[in-house]
Amino acid sequence: MKIRDKLLLGFGFYILLAAILGFFAYMELRTITTRLTLVEIAGDITNTILEVRRYEKNFLLYKDKDNLQELKNYLGVLKKYIDSIKSEVIKEIGINNYNMMKETISEYEQLFDAIVDNFRSQEKITTSMRAAGGKIERRLTGRELESFLDIRRDEKNLMLYKDQETYDTFIRTLNSANLDRYEEVRRYRILMTRLFELYRYEKDSIDKIRLKAREIQSFTENLSKKERTDIDAVSKRSMRLLLYALLAFIILGTIINMRLARGIATPIKRLEEITKKVAAGDFSERIEIKGKGEIASLGISFNQMGTRLRDAMESLELAIKRLHEKQAQLVEAEKLASLGRIAAGVAHEINNPLAIINEKAGLMQDILQMSADFQHKEKFSNLINGIIGSVNRCRTITHQLLGFARRIDVIVELMDLNEAVIEVKGFLENEILLKNIRVELNIGEDLPKIKSDKVLLEQVFLNIIKNAIDAVEEGGLIEVSTRIKDENTAQVSIKDNGPGIPRDKLKHIFEPFFTTKERGKGTGLGLFVSYVIMKKLGGFILAESEIGKGTTFILEIPIQPRF
Amino acid sequence: MKKKKEIKVLLVDDEVDFVDTLAQRLKMRELMVATVYDGEQALSFIKKIEPDVIVLDLKMPGLHGMEVLREIKQLSPHIQVIILTGHGTEKDEEEAKRLGGFDFLRKPADIDLLVAKIKEAYWEKIERAMTAIAFAEEGELDTARKIIKKEE
Ligand SMILES: Nc1ncnc2c1ncn2[C@@H]1O[C@H](COP(=O)(O)OP(=O)(O)OP(=O)(O)O)[C@@H](O)[C@H]1O
Ligand SMILES: [Mg+2]
Repeated sequence: MKIRDKLLLGFGFYILLAAILGFFAYMELRTITTRLTLVEIAGDITNTILEVRRYEKNFLLYKDKDNLQELKNYLGVLKKYIDSIKSEVIKEIGINNYNMMKETISEYEQLFDAIVDNFRSQEKITTSMRAAGGKIERRLTGRELESFLDIRRDEKNLMLYKDQETYDTFIRTLNSANLDRYEEVRRYRILMTRLFELYRYEKDSIDKIRLKAREIQSFTENLSKKERTDIDAVSKRSMRLLLYALLAFIILGTIINMRLARGIATPIKRLEEITKKVAAGDFSERIEIKGKGEIASLGISFNQMGTRLRDAMESLELAIKRLHEKQAQLVEAEKLASLGRIAAGVAHEINNPLAIINEKAGLMQDILQMSADFQHKEKFSNLINGIIGSVNRCRTITHQLLGFARRIDVIVELMDLNEAVIEVKGFLENEILLKNIRVELNIGEDLPKIKSDKVLLEQVFLNIIKNAIDAVEEGGLIEVSTRIKDENTAQVSIKDNGPGIPRDKLKHIFEPFFTTKERGKGTGLGLFVSYVIMKKLGGFILAESEIGKGTTFILEIPIQPRF
Repeated sequence: MKKKKEIKVLLVDDEVDFVDTLAQRLKMRELMVATVYDGEQALSFIKKIEPDVIVLDLKMPGLHGMEVLREIKQLSPHIQVIILTGHGTEKDEEEAKRLGGFDFLRKPADIDLLVAKIKEAYWEKIERAMTAIAFAEEGELDTARKIIKKEE
C-alpha cells in the first residue's frame, strides 16, 4: 500500500469514527429534544388543567356564567393543546393513552354540560317549590300551618346540605304532618323528591367530574414524569455512549495508527540500517520487498542501487588491481631493462680485462708448447687450459648479454611474421634433425604484414624454439602457430610436449641468469632477452606450463608499432 | 701462405697489455706484427709503412676506431681492417661493414679464429690489389679504384 493511501486510511478512519460519534450524538440529542417538547407540552397541559380545575371549583361554588365561560375557554385551550400534539410525540406517548386522554376530556366536558342542565333544572324546580310552598302556607292555618313551617325549615336544610339524611328528615317531617290530602302538598312532595334526585345526580356528576379531572391531571403528570426520567436515561445513556465511543476512538485509533506507522516506519528503519551498512562498505545486504507501495519501489530502487554500487565497486577494484598489475609489469619491465643495461655495461667493461687474461693465458700456452719438457709442463698446460676455459664461459655470458644490447634501437619495417617463423625454423634445422624432433607450423593465412623489428623478433623465436628443442625428448613435438588475435594484435604460440616447468620455477624463467641447465650449457639469459625485446616492441610474452604435458609460450605483437 | 712473416699486421688498441701480448702470440704464429696505442699513431704509421691487415679497437682515447677506419679506407682502400672490440653493438658492426671493414670480432677472441680472419683478410687484400693493378695496367687506375669501391 502506498504511504499516501496509508495516511489517508488512518485519516479516513478517524473521520469515520468522528462521523459515527457525531451521528450518535445527533440522534441522542434529537431524542432528548423530542422528549423535551413532550415535557413542555405536558407542562402546558398541566397548567391548562390547573386553570380548568380552578374555574371548575369556582363554577361549582358560584354556579355562575362567567366562571363557566372561563372553564369552557380553558377546556378549548386544553383540547387545542391535545390536538396539536405531533404524531411522533403521540407515538411516544402511545396512541391508546392519547385517545384515552382525549376521551376523558370529552367525557369531562359532557359531564359538565350535564351538570349545567342539572343546575338549570334545580333552579326551575326550586323556584316552583318556593312558589308551591308559599301557596300552601297561605292556605293552611293553625296546627297544620305550624307543621308545614317545620317542613319548610327542613326544606331549607335540605337545599343547603343536599344529603340523604336531611332528605330523610324532610320526608319524615312531611309524613308526620299528614297533609297529603291537600293537592298542593302532594305536588310539593313530588317536586322535592325530584329536586333531591337532581341533587343526588349533581353529587354524582361532581364526583365524576373530579375523578375525570384528576385522571387527566395524573395522566399529564405521569407523562411529564415519565418523559423526565426518559430524558434522564437518554442523557445518561448518551454520556456513556460518548464515553465508550471516545475510548474506542482512542484505542482503535492508536492500534490502527500504530500498525500503519509500523507499516511505514519498519521498512524505512530497515532501509536506514542497510544504508548505514552500505555507507560502511557492505554491499551484500538486500531489502525484502513486500507489497508494492512506495516503500516497496524504494526498496527495489535501493536494491538496484546496491547492486550497481557493488558492481561499480567491483569493477573499480578490478580496475585498480589491473592498474597495480600493469604498474608492477611496468616496474618489472623497467627493472629488467635497466638490469639489461647494467648487464650490458658490465659485459662491455669485463670484455677488455677478459681479453687480456685470454691473451696472457694463451701466450703462456704458446710458450709452453714451444718449450722442452720439464717436470710440471703437463700440469701447467692443464692449468692454462682451465683459465682459457673459464674465459670462454665468461665470453659466452658477455656475448649473450651483448646480444640484445647490441642494438639499442628498434628498426621497424613491414614484415611477414610467418616468413620470420619459417626462417627461424630453417636456422635450427640441424638441431631439429639431430634430435629427430617434429616441428609443426600452423601458419595463420589471414595474418597481415605487421610493422615491427624482424631481427629482434627472430631472436625471440630463436631463443624460445631453442629452449623447446632442449626441453623435449628425442622425437618430441613442437608446434609453432601464428594467428591474428584482434585488429591490433598478432599472436605467435610455441608449444612443446616437454616435461613442463614446475610452478615455483615458472615465476623465475624470465629473470636474467635463471637456468636449470647444467653448468656451461645455459646462461639463463635467453628468456630474459626475449622478454626485454617483447617489451621494447610493445608486446608481451607469457608462459603456460603443465608438468608432464609441456609448455606453451605465447607472444603478442602489435601490428602497428606502439612504442 | 707464401713466405714466413709475409703478412704485415698492425694492432691498434689502447690496452697496452692486451696488444703487446696479442702481438707476441701473433708473431709466434708467423705474422709480422706492429703495435700502436691510438688512432693518430695508427694513421701516421700507415703513411710510412703500409700493413696488409689492421686489427683495430673501437673505443680508444682520441680518435674513435670508426674514424680511424674511415681514414684508413681513404688513404689506402685495400688495407683490410678487422675490428676487435669489447664494446661493439650491432649498429657498430653494420657501420664498420659499410665503411669497408673486413670483419667484426668481439673480445675476448679466440686466437685461432683471429689468425684465420687475418689470413682471410690478407688474401682479400691481395685479390683486390691484383684487380686494381690489372685495371692499372690498362692505364685506368682511377677507374679501377672506383670499381673497387663500388664492389665494396
Ligand atoms: N620449453 C621449455 N620447457 C621447459 N623448461 C623451459 C622451457 N623454456 C625455458 N625453460 C626453463 O627456463 C629456463 C630459462 O630459460 P632461458 O632461455 O632464459 O635460459 P637457458 O635456456 O637456461 O639458457 P640460454 O637460453 O641463455 O642458453 C631454462 O633453463 C629452463 O629451465
Ligand atoms: Mg635458452
